[in-house]
Amino acid sequence: MIEWLHPGLIFLLGALLIPVLKGKGRQVYLLLLPAVAFIDLILISKGVFGTGPFWQLSFMGYELTLGRVDRLSMVFAYVFVIASFCMTIYALHVSETGQHLAAFFYVGSTLGVVFAGDLFTLFFFWEVMAWSSMLLIWYRKTKAAYGAGFRFIMVHMFGGICLLAGVVLQLQATGSIAFESFEWGLGSEYLASYLIFLAFIINAAVPPLGAWLADAYPEATVTGAVFLTAFTTKSAIYVLIRGFPGVEVLIWLGAIMALYGVVFAVLENDIRRLLAYHIISQVGYMVCGVGMGVFGTAAGEMAINGAAAHAFCHILYKALLFMGMGAIIEVTGRSKLTELGGIYKYMPITFWLYMIGAFSISGFPLFNGFVSKTMVVTASAMWHYSIIWLMLEGASIGTFLHTGLKLPWGAWFARKEPVCEAREPPKNMLAAMGITAFLCTLLGVYPKILYNMLPYPVDYVPYAAGHVVAMSQLLLFTFVAFWLLKGMLHGTPTITLDTDWFYRIPGKRVIWFCEKPLMAFANYVDRNVMRMAGFFGNDFWPLVVTYVENPLDKAFHVRLPELLNFKEIHDKIKQIKDRELSYNLLYILLAMFVLLVYILFTVVVE
Amino acid sequence: MEIKMRHLFLMLYVSLAASVLAGILVYHLHLLHPHFWWEKLPVFSAIYGFIGCIIIIVASKALGHHWLQKEEDYYEKH
Repeated sequence: MIEWLHPGLIFLLGALLIPVLKGKGRQVYLLLLPAVAFIDLILISKGVFGTGPFWQLSFMGYELTLGRVDRLSMVFAYVFVIASFCMTIYALHVSETGQHLAAFFYVGSTLGVVFAGDLFTLFFFWEVMAWSSMLLIWYRKTKAAYGAGFRFIMVHMFGGICLLAGVVLQLQATGSIAFESFEWGLGSEYLASYLIFLAFIINAAVPPLGAWLADAYPEATVTGAVFLTAFTTKSAIYVLIRGFPGVEVLIWLGAIMALYGVVFAVLENDIRRLLAYHIISQVGYMVCGVGMGVFGTAAGEMAINGAAAHAFCHILYKALLFMGMGAIIEVTGRSKLTELGGIYKYMPITFWLYMIGAFSISGFPLFNGFVSKTMVVTASAMWHYSIIWLMLEGASIGTFLHTGLKLPWGAWFARKEPVCEAREPPKNMLAAMGITAFLCTLLGVYPKILYNMLPYPVDYVPYAAGHVVAMSQLLLFTFVAFWLLKGMLHGTPTITLDTDWFYRIPGKRVIWFCEKPLMAFANYVDRNVMRMAGFFGNDFWPLVVTYVENPLDKAFHVRLPELLNFKEIHDKIKQIKDRELSYNLLYILLAMFVLLVYILFTVVVE
Repeated sequence: MEIKMRHLFLMLYVSLAASVLAGILVYHLHLLHPHFWWEKLPVFSAIYGFIGCIIIIVASKALGHHWLQKEEDYYEKH
């Protein structure tokens, strides 16, 4: 029998060859990797390698599992690989090697998370995912991107530390590092579960911990942002399904999240930030679905199927939407609704492809959002959660209002005369959008492909007369209200405060404290040290050498340590002060992180 | 352009009417499997869509205007 091959490893190891390839060869190679991973997944599905788990190794006395294969991990792996193929086409014209490397590491580590059968493996890939995704933001190389990427990694490192602490506590309590569903209840004995839960919902961007998403994604590169939309939040949904199905608090968090994104999207002026808030809103449906996914109940299985199906569809249409808005940024260099409008005549193809994504996210019948979103909504009805049902349906209204109406209206129409020159984006970008749009429609028209992949058997008919009519009414009358109030929906040149305020403003105060009072104090200490050194003067040291060092050398063959070289110390201090403080913070954080990992591991080993 | 817009609006009115009629039809043919009492109303979704949309716009705008929306250089200034 042939040995199982980890699909994530195809990306992680395959990426290493990218820097040595150039031109057409590299483009072919970039597309080859996702294609090979896809074939690998098909072979795994067919059972060519036998049944899992695969790649179980021993590490420090623990059994690691890198290849847990079941229906749940496979449905997520499939969509990640398919999406990465479309996204790679979209990014094919990018010449910067680093961007491709970061993207492939990001995809590979996400697949690592999906197939991880134990908590150590999960933690390892979780961290690689955070760092590689940060690079996709930094490659934009603007001041805003550096700042946003920095905040992004701080939040994710906090999440990573929570995860690690949770894992260690879990290990101490149960003696096992298996990644199965966690114990849940009220009380201090569940601390490990709480910490892991916190890490998971930070990555799922659940408010109030989700501000990093709308802060960072719109600052990423045009092609990098498309990658970002898919992997971090949806892998968080995967681990939530694995670890916390049926945890009731998720139902409410999810429903609130769905509406939260909608409200902020009304206020947004930046086209990609508006879409980012709709990621939060859509992930809300999935989080809600996970919360309703109680084991062994029909409604619970429907909810889990709904969450997985919606993640699958969401990845495709959200990538398409980001590709459309990315195309506008690529050709016009503008990203604000107040600076756009009237450019439809230059880029009609992009517009219509974008609209397929917009119809999909809004849940129009015949598009993929309809066949997945209604599963979660139906699950809420099966559980008789009336308020949740109304909240989720209300979020559907807002979704169509923004991504289907306000955004395309403001970006492509809204003004009689175009505000700037524009054209269709490069061919590879259009091709990527075309393929993604085709997939969105295919799943909408023929949902059986998707339903056959889901974790539980599907007993659900999306195209029941009642569903179709209700959804059509909802969306058509949303359009009427939009048309009446469209004057209120023009972009305004403002930003919207989110919970990132709580670390951006106090954080700035902390940096000010370090730079001003703390540095003043340090300077004061330095000066006095120098003065002491000066006190001994230039005449002093030759005397020390003559009367102390030389006799010492003669008697014991020792010399005074280099440390007493005050001039060098002074120069070193000056150098450090000249560097930018925020980068030093990064080093300090890194060092602290490594230290923490070390300490925690020593605790465990003992 | 003028004629095109008129056609589009005609299409909209037709589809609005069709969706409401379909709602009534579905109700009378007993094709619904309602979980909540309001799902039995043939035009509930139309009303919810219309009113919901207005509430979302007005409420969010109010929230933004009085609290959350700030000038673009807010974080540089504060």
